[in-house]
Amino acid sequence: MKEDPIGAEAAASIAGAPVSLDDAAAEAGRLLARNRQPLIAGLGADIDGARAAIALAQRVGGVIDHMHSAAVLRDLDSMRETGAMLTTLGEARVRADVVLLVGDGLIEAWPDLSERLLRPPARPEGVDVERRIVWLAPQADARLPGFDRDIEIVAAGVGATLAANLAALRANVKGRPVARTGIPQAALDALAAVVKGARFGVAVWTASQLGALEIEMLNGLVRDLNDTTRFSTLPLVAPDNSAGVLAACGWTTGLPMRTGFGGGGPLHDPWRFDAERLVASGETDCVLWISAFGAASPIWPTALDVIALCEPTAQFAEPPHVRIAVGRPGVDHDAVMHSADVGTLVAATASRRSGAPSVAQALERIDACLAEADAPSC
Amino acid sequence: MLTHIKGARILDPANGRDETGDLWIRDDRIVATPQNGAHPGETLDASGLIAMAGGIDIHSHIAGANVNTARLLLPEYHRAHVRRPAETPLSQVGWTTFETGRLYAEMGFTTVVEPAVSPHNALHAHLELADTPIIDKAILTLLGNDDFVLGLMRSGEGASAICDHVAWTLETTRALGVKVVNPGGVAAFKDNIRSFSFDDVVPYYGVTSRAIVKALQRAVHEAGAPHPLHVHCNNLGLPGNFETALATIAAAEDLPLHLAHLQFYGYGKEGPQGFSSAAPQLAEAVNAAKTVTVDVGQVMFGQTVTISSDVLRQFGARGQARPKKYAIIDGDSNGGGIVPFEYRGGSFHNAVQFAVGLELFLLINDPWRVFFTTDHPNGAPFTTYPDLFALLMDKDLRAEWISRLPKEALAVTTLSSLTREYTFNDIATMTRAAPAKLLGLSDRGHLGVGARADVALYRPGKDVSQMFREAAAVFKDGELVVRDGKVTHDRYGRALHVTPVVEASMQRRMREYYDERYGLQSDFMRVAEGAVGRPHPFGTVACAS
Repeated sequence: MKEDPIGAEAAASIAGAPVSLDDAAAEAGRLLARNRQPLIAGLGADIDGARAAIALAQRVGGVIDHMHSAAVLRDLDSMRETGAMLTTLGEARVRADVVLLVGDGLIEAWPDLSERLLRPPARPEGVDVERRIVWLAPQADARLPGFDRDIEIVAAGVGATLAANLAALRANVKGRPVARTGIPQAALDALAAVVKGARFGVAVWTASQLGALEIEMLNGLVRDLNDTTRFSTLPLVAPDNSAGVLAACGWTTGLPMRTGFGGGGPLHDPWRFDAERLVASGETDCVLWISAFGAASPIWPTALDVIALCEPTAQFAEPPHVRIAVGRPGVDHDAVMHSADVGTLVAATASRRSGAPSVAQALERIDACLAEADAPSC
Repeated sequence: MLTHIKGARILDPANGRDETGDLWIRDDRIVATPQNGAHPGETLDASGLIAMAGGIDIHSHIAGANVNTARLLLPEYHRAHVRRPAETPLSQVGWTTFETGRLYAEMGFTTVVEPAVSPHNALHAHLELADTPIIDKAILTLLGNDDFVLGLMRSGEGASAICDHVAWTLETTRALGVKVVNPGGVAAFKDNIRSFSFDDVVPYYGVTSRAIVKALQRAVHEAGAPHPLHVHCNNLGLPGNFETALATIAAAEDLPLHLAHLQFYGYGKEGPQGFSSAAPQLAEAVNAAKTVTVDVGQVMFGQTVTISSDVLRQFGARGQARPKKYAIIDGDSNGGGIVPFEYRGGSFHNAVQFAVGLELFLLINDPWRVFFTTDHPNGAPFTTYPDLFALLMDKDLRAEWISRLPKEALAVTTLSSLTREYTFNDIATMTRAAPAKLLGLSDRGHLGVGARADVALYRPGKDVSQMFREAAAVFKDGELVVRDGKVTHDRYGRALHVTPVVEASMQRRMREYYDERYGLQSDFMRVAEGAVGRPHPFGTVACAS
């Protein structure tokens, strides 16, 4: 992996007019230095970009949040309240004899899911794993592309919620009487028998589609199942390197995103440092928006100073005051990111190397300009 | 640049030195006293101070996926840590990478080994280590519960294939050595095995824990890694488990073997509660087994969090979690278990554990074969080392601590009867000279000419703990980094690793294996120099040829 020089194609603008990267960085530095509670949001960046963003936030006494924090923190909250049992895709693929898919959005969260999990790889010698895949579906006519022929669907009846069904399943597994369920009693008994009979079961979901209560119920169900057998969970991670950014926040600050540095040390408060809330309440008037993986961008109030480090094609309802086009990690430049396939941080070599600056490089320019805040230009 | 450290008591057991004298540093090395007329760029008056080489910690969980999960599992402690540093739970753990490096440096430690990194997570661990300032560091890579090694043993491929795989893993993950955690037991737990001993058989693979230890011990030796196989035995924490440790020690035979955190295996089943110290038996066995080295994993009282790749053991301990939450991760090859725990002085069991650790320290007679660890943070945070040094150097202080422990606990240990007191020379041997030898780091652990200029200066006083907690001055690679117990200069050290020769056939085989079994390219594990995001992040350590 190498550090690329920033090329001539670096595109930057101030108030819509093209400027040099240095001028854009100087203007960004000026805005960040001037504001009392700058917000670094989006955080769609590789590990080096996340490290640079966290360092910058510490420097300016700002706040860091990730565009998928809500989903990330739903999983994390359940773990840090009551605990969790987790496994990796590799172990699930090789070992799982029961896969319990839960809720909606699985294929959207991970298009390769069926290819990776549908069948276990053959053992070169010895007994192959026989896999049973059950989907606790959001409704009866739901479809899960890629799994069509190989899946058993247990769906909620009319009016029942996934949370209620999970509660009924957990109670049934524990041997407790269940008076009312959204699933016919026979189907509930059968499902409970499947998960209890697993040798190594894995529950799969995406927090973007589940509520906190459902996730807590799933974690509790899995804990209970481990009293007698082995069962684990594989929560699918949200995109835009959210899991990688979470890890980097963890080792650099001890805390996840939605952390502010205004008080000297890092302070984590999922409500107070929610980017959307900070913007809506007017508690921040300067946003540094980072999104290197995709063109999506929020709609900002016009009173806000917005600095955007974004894909060249990103569209904004209101053009950001400062805009710097950054390269896509792993495409325009080498990058370390969380890999859903491996379940940890992995280095990716640039597939179409370009001179576009990385998020880290752009932030380092801005940081250098902060150092010369009193100077007339950077 | 030339630096002159003047008039210190130089404690350098590796070179048999304990005398008042001068040290000269040129750039990053200790040099001989220059000829007349040399003008040092800096002179430090060290009269009244004790000079030792920089401390080396061979076993401290400071980085990687499991440590990070512990951080995220316990946000309340971090918050407490920031707000009220002195009095709150876990206030001294060194929670972020930045704090970890600084806290070690302030105690005069300059090299630390993170001993449990799953090969899949090597890059993550190296990224964290790259963000750990001042000190040098290294990882041990985990093998022995993974499908590949167990598969090689199952199919009877023999020693050379395992040796090739060890070399491939060390090289790919940039590790200094190999550790095995609950050999076979972690793999067996995935098959719902709830207890696993040294001669039990891993389902499907048909191999015993003993066979795994023996195979890896030989493979590490033959791959030329200077550090012997680092073993976390089966049955950690269970009454009667000293027999497992005895069996493992006996199995070492004529090749070197390191047993980690022996305290956690020092338990008999005697006494009214069926839990007692078996430290005397273990110490006797260690004293007799000259190829065996151990570290202690001392327990100190207070809140901590246990972080271990022994998933089976951590699952077993989940009921004792305090606060009541835990993370159990069935990972690739190993995984991890994170269980918060509070050791209480008033608890019978915790007091026995505390006593067992001290008994091992005091009964094992060769300071070159027993090492200081608290198995950070599993027995206690590393920041408790100064208190531990003080306890071992002063039997009166020990008596004072003992007087506060439950009498029933003391009755099942021999601690009260032990009067040995460590000397400064013992401490310097066990935290400097011996660890350097154990890890194959010939450029450190001593203050001879040519050594790396990692130097810790301490101000002796009545309070030994205070002396070791706040070094008077610390040099890392010749740079002054600490004065009066506070970091004065941030810098970044390197991660040390071996570079064994890797057979091309093993490279090819690993590519095929990961492709077929996991649908992945085996390159994902490779830790590239440029991937960790700092200049010159690595340093190499020579293998035996």
